[in-house]
Amino acid sequence: MSDNLITDSVFEHTARLSRLEIKPDETNIKNQLIETVKYVEVLDELNTSDVSPTFQVNHKSNILREDKVEASLSQELALSQAEKVSSGYFKTTATIDKNK
Amino acid sequence: MTDLNKLTLSEARKGLKSKKFTPTDLVQSCLDRIKSFDKKLNAFVTLCDEEALKQAKTADISLPLGGIPIAIKDNYLTKGIRTTASSLVLDEYIAQYDATVMKKLKNAGAIIIGKTNLDAWAHGSSTETSDYGPTLNPWNTDHLPGGSSGGSAAAIAADETIISVGSETAGSIRQPAAWCGVVGFKPTYGRVSRYGIIAMKSSTDSPGPLCKTVDDAATLLEIMSGHDPYDATSIEEDSWKKPEIRQNLNGLKIGIPLSYFPSQIQPEVKKSILEAAETLKKLGAQILELPDVLDPKYSIAVYTILQRSEVSSNLARFDGIRYGHDRSFFGTEAKRRIMLGTYSLSAGYYDAYYLKAQKVRTLICQDFDKQFQKVDAIIGPVSPTTALKLGATKGQAMFGELQDMLVEPSSIAGLPGISIPCGFDKTALPIGFQIIAPQKREDLVYQIAKIFEDNTDYHTKRPKL
Repeated sequence: MSDNLITDSVFEHTARLSRLEIKPDETNIKNQLIETVKYVEVLDELNTSDVSPTFQVNHKSNILREDKVEASLSQELALSQAEKVSSGYFKTTATIDKNK
Repeated sequence: MTDLNKLTLSEARKGLKSKKFTPTDLVQSCLDRIKSFDKKLNAFVTLCDEEALKQAKTADISLPLGGIPIAIKDNYLTKGIRTTASSLVLDEYIAQYDATVMKKLKNAGAIIIGKTNLDAWAHGSSTETSDYGPTLNPWNTDHLPGGSSGGSAAAIAADETIISVGSETAGSIRQPAAWCGVVGFKPTYGRVSRYGIIAMKSSTDSPGPLCKTVDDAATLLEIMSGHDPYDATSIEEDSWKKPEIRQNLNGLKIGIPLSYFPSQIQPEVKKSILEAAETLKKLGAQILELPDVLDPKYSIAVYTILQRSEVSSNLARFDGIRYGHDRSFFGTEAKRRIMLGTYSLSAGYYDAYYLKAQKVRTLICQDFDKQFQKVDAIIGPVSPTTALKLGATKGQAMFGELQDMLVEPSSIAGLPGISIPCGFDKTALPIGFQIIAPQKREDLVYQIAKIFEDNTDYHTKRPKL
């Protein structure tokens, strides 16, 4: 780990992956990321070569239920908080260019 | 009937049952208090005054919380009521269903008087990062209430409500409880359902009560707990039940980790914790120093990586399509956390950060297992300091993490813990200490906290507003 990993291009790429626009007055975020990444290097002091990870503290996995239809939100209620709806659907921006 | 708002849950229930006052009197008393003081304190984001008074008229006082006003942290989904997580992204969001816990509280007869302020998305330990402005500490309004459940803690301390609920990911119940001089009970991870609580760090998020007494908090935990099929990490057990009260602590071993007294600890905090240990010793407990507890600095790093990673995933759903505004409404704190999480989870960095942190989490869990071979429970400070002044978080990339260093290890391991009042510093700001026990041992936490409270009077002190 090293602090110069977060270059301008890594920072911009991360913002793109996060779907966030970083405003001009928020550029300090980059320095804070570097500062935080530097702090967490403390973990390198601990040898974890023979340690398995704990993703979940009550050690549960594969909680399944029967594939049975249960009551859910009505269409009207599900759409009630959307800013844009159309003919009973959520309206989103296009992800496919129809001219291609 | 005056000052009904100052009652504890058990006092209020007694009064309602003996018909000394009505649910309407009780609700009105809390609303009056809020109207007098909350413009300044800003503990509430949304008030439900009309609906609360309406419900009070038909309240069934035979229910466990019948006619009792409750303040709900604004990251609990409350059907038909605005739910913001203190973020402008959800400024106009009306919850479409109730959180499982909310259903349980409603079924028990509780009356929602309002939704309380938090650090936006629960990202913080100050309530200063709320998009609706900071909540102020009722003990001294130049100071912060702690967070993220700062609104709930301040509302209890200011007697604006009888009971309240919050949620803890790493300190968000215990730390504001300590800074505001109230009781905050964080259950074992999975004891209380997370369904319908706006997700922060899903692998440690634990909803729980903030109240005026240990007994009130335990009563609420009884109601809030229990298996929920809608939460895949929910413990498959029935509701938790309060154990018998102990007459003494004979035969109990309580440990104090020396590493929980870092060099920057405020001397008065250290003194109060050691005095609390002395009280527990007088009550019969054997107090043991724990010299080899893993340094909390590792928990700070583990928490920082895992929290940011889970946040970047959990907040990805806020796209402004199905609910809320679009991502341009995120505040700087949320952006900072999403960015680091995305970075630590992205190709090339996953092993170095996320996986490494999950491995160290194993070491933290093992360390607690080792300590609990020697002692039944652990006590220590909740926070290295009493409430800090407004503005303390400015420009601090890791304010919350450093502030919560003494509660992060137990949160990462999913352990139950409580913060209870144990003193005041020279400026009359409250001090709290925590009791931690192995997973699912809320019974021990409760018994130790209850006997301490019964033998001290710190919990009876209230700020002058």
